[in-house]
Amino acid sequence: MIISRISRFISNFDNLLALFAGACAVLAVLFVLFLPLPYSEDQLYPKEIDESSPLYPYERGGTPFERADIHVQYPENSPFAGYVTAYLTPFSLALSRLTPHAGTTIVAHPGGILDEILYNTRGLDTVVETTILFIAFAIGSYLFRKGS
Amino acid sequence: MIGIGGQPLFMLPFGDIVLYFTPFTLTLFILALVFTVLVIISKPERQIDIVFGGDAYLAKEISISEMKFRRFMAIACGLASMGAMVTGDIFDFALFTSLVGICNVGIVAAVKSRHVQNAAYQYGLVAMSATVPLFAGAAIVAATTGTLSILELALPGATKVPLFVKALLTLGVMGEGMAPFYAAKAEMFRAPGAPYVIMCSLSSLLIFLRVIEVVLTV
Amino acid sequence: MWNEYSVGLALVMISAVIGFLALLREQDDLHRLLIIDLVEIPSLAIIALLGTDLAEALILPGLVVGIAELLALSQIYVTKEGLRKRPVRGLHIEVVERAHAPVIIPALLVGYGIVLSGFTGGAVAALGAIFFVISRGSTDSYELVEMASGIAWAAWIASFFVFMFFPQYWYAGVMGAAVGILVKVAAKMTLVGSMWGEAE
Repeated sequence: MIISRISRFISNFDNLLALFAGACAVLAVLFVLFLPLPYSEDQLYPKEIDESSPLYPYERGGTPFERADIHVQYPENSPFAGYVTAYLTPFSLALSRLTPHAGTTIVAHPGGILDEILYNTRGLDTVVETTILFIAFAIGSYLFRKGS
Repeated sequence: MIGIGGQPLFMLPFGDIVLYFTPFTLTLFILALVFTVLVIISKPERQIDIVFGGDAYLAKEISISEMKFRRFMAIACGLASMGAMVTGDIFDFALFTSLVGICNVGIVAAVKSRHVQNAAYQYGLVAMSATVPLFAGAAIVAATTGTLSILELALPGATKVPLFVKALLTLGVMGEGMAPFYAAKAEMFRAPGAPYVIMCSLSSLLIFLRVIEVVLTV
Repeated sequence: MWNEYSVGLALVMISAVIGFLALLREQDDLHRLLIIDLVEIPSLAIIALLGTDLAEALILPGLVVGIAELLALSQIYVTKEGLRKRPVRGLHIEVVERAHAPVIIPALLVGYGIVLSGFTGGAVAALGAIFFVISRGSTDSYELVEMASGIAWAAWIASFFVFMFFPQYWYAGVMGAAVGILVKVAAKMTLVGSMWGEAE
């Protein structure tokens, strides 16, 4: 019987991943066939590239301790959004005056648009994300201690 | 906003991510909350093997540390389900769903049986590959509509999310909540410890219900 | 209306299909884990196709989720297969005595990590710390590192609440979050990197 054969295949959990991968592959192929998708021009947090800026590729559009103009989803929920974006620590200010090639180092230093999104406007994402890391670490360390 | 969930009763804003409580999401939230409280206060069961045709029986010994760890994972899973029920942001929903998936793996993986651990490993592989359609779907929603907020997408004039993107999201949630598929074979439920294992099923059921609401709303 | 976005999406989806087909055929458990790690790259690419600053902020959670699940699953794999560190006996080959690596490399990495701060800095600093632990073979004071990680976690959550409820103190929030995440990520990655090597 075909049904009993299918049910036997599904009930073996070694086949489960193959089944899921097959479903994903079929969906991805269908996705490509139906592809041309519109790209909405009205994006949140749009990126502006200004190659002459010493902060390139993360030009901030504001001076420290003033509000930079950023496009957030709910401005009324984050009344102070824009201050973190414009902030430069003294170290990164000195770095930006010294050389125009340290933009990536400066953006990882405190302040900037990525910190604004990760800590302020979408802070809950980061909370969940670090919780996932914490849970995975708990599983790993429990099994490690049990095994040793 | 007129979705299948009804009017939002109240909202809890965290910056761009707004948690909203409609009658639908509030019901699911309370269900997850009640079950989490039950997990916290209940005592785990002992599993007993009985030999057929004789009087012999054998109570399986489970160490306290294992039970503590599984209770911790079950509580984390309950909290993750609560978050996934009320979040109003598609990417945040994807993150909460993958948290549910990895907690489900953790609940089962602590059992000291090679068979059960093999099942947990296979389930974990599915949960890990399910993050691909889940995050891809969320990112394509942002690209095609310009927003991630479910409340914005539910507005009458908003750009509609393409059908295949909804399919990607649903497939991702199916992969993360794969645990009920095991009910057929009962591999996972052979693991001792009643209330904790049921948390796998409950959380998968809840995220299934929630993704249906999300897909019909956006 | 084949815009640039759709072309990129088509290319990424085709590579995802190739990865999933490999997953469909593979039977070995370890290889499956490795292929899934490969398949996750297209999902990061799809997020990157968004092309805004938001995309850069979304890639980080996507990447961390992948790393975290890989970490948990690899430990489950080790336990399920019963793999243990077996000392090799019977090989008596004369080798040059092992020398310590210079301290300057981990010092530079940790220093640059502290300058970067946040997630990126945490990862760079952890790399330096792992390098130091591996090259020196010191394995003590794990409890201290774990405790630092926990305190840093609390500092980061406190900064999150500052941002949400007292946004006028955003400066304290961004400094607390940057330092907290730096210490937390560095500590956790160091523990992961060094713990796995010393199973005995």
